[in-house]
Amino acid sequence: MIDILSYSLMVIGIIFWFWGTLPLIGERSVLFKLHSLSVADTLGSMTIILGLLLKIPSEWSLLLLAIITLAIWNTVLGYVIAYCSIDEEIKNKKIN
Amino acid sequence: MDSILIAMILALLIPIYEAWQDDDIWQKMLAFASIATKTSIMMLVISVLRDDWSIGVVAVIILCVGNAGLMLLAHLIKRINET
Amino acid sequence: MIDKYVYIIVALLPLSALMLVFQTNPYHALVIRAILGAIAALVYIVLGAADVALTEALVGTMLAVTLYVVAVRSSLVLRLGILKGDGKTNSFTELIASLRKVINRHYLRLELIEYPDFLTLKQALVEREVHAICSQQDYSEPQNQNSATGIEIEQTYHTAIRVRRLFEILQTELTLPETTLTYVSVFNREDKH
Repeated sequence: MIDILSYSLMVIGIIFWFWGTLPLIGERSVLFKLHSLSVADTLGSMTIILGLLLKIPSEWSLLLLAIITLAIWNTVLGYVIAYCSIDEEIKNKKIN
Repeated sequence: MDSILIAMILALLIPIYEAWQDDDIWQKMLAFASIATKTSIMMLVISVLRDDWSIGVVAVIILCVGNAGLMLLAHLIKRINET
Repeated sequence: MIDKYVYIIVALLPLSALMLVFQTNPYHALVIRAILGAIAALVYIVLGAADVALTEALVGTMLAVTLYVVAVRSSLVLRLGILKGDGKTNSFTELIASLRKVINRHYLRLELIEYPDFLTLKQALVEREVHAICSQQDYSEPQNQNSATGIEIEQTYHTAIRVRRLFEILQTELTLPETTLTYVSVFNREDKH
């Protein structure tokens, strides 16, 4: 029962990964790609780790640390990349 | 479990392709962010698969450090384009 | 004993290495080097070397790439010495803009350094403080000879470059009537560095 649950969680996480990563290919702006990437990638990764947590509860401390790290760092990272790339977008618009 | 890992490798190939074909440096950085997260999650999966505690610890450290290094790199690249 | 996914993951390593080798822009190559580092760490983990993977992630990906970005940024630069009053005139900013365009094609940055008068400008070129100087006076001509006909040639600039390769690049790609290009060989003095 728990096995099925953990496997289905991992499969859902991988679906999230594909959903977040597929918009990377294509001619959209950086911020659009960043949005889909940061939301769907982080959620997918957290779901996968949750599935692993159900599968092997003995490593719970490590996996919990990984979840917390993902939640905090990926959010901050999304903000930092957006902040750093926005300058260039404005400059390009001015030139064009 | 093996098929899950192979699906993850397929998901990893998408940002690699993106980093190869796109010419904008920020798109490459996005692809790198995606790859860094994905590889460390794959390491975690492998550590659980093999029941190896030390690999799990290294995976979590790489998850932390990779993200921190990415922020550093983003700020440096921003400085390059400024002047 | 060896699973199938191990082969696929190891095959990613030469793939990303080829991507790195065929990249011409140095900054893009550095980002791809970071990607290569992440994939290499994954390969080491798959093969069971946790300590090597940790070293690769910390040193190979983070430290080396950060240091190389700083190094590439400070070495891929063309330092151009100019006179203090020159920066404001209209034709000069046009000249600088087109120079920047040519240079950016070769992934170089342009850095302007101002000097108070022509003698210190010339001295800076000889002392290798700058790679090139750009002013209305010719590098080879003496100063007083030029001042007599100063009004006539006001619109032309003389750019003296002491780096051979830069001179070749600019001569073939910079097509502007506003400036003349000359190559100046600065003698190697006894202290080599």
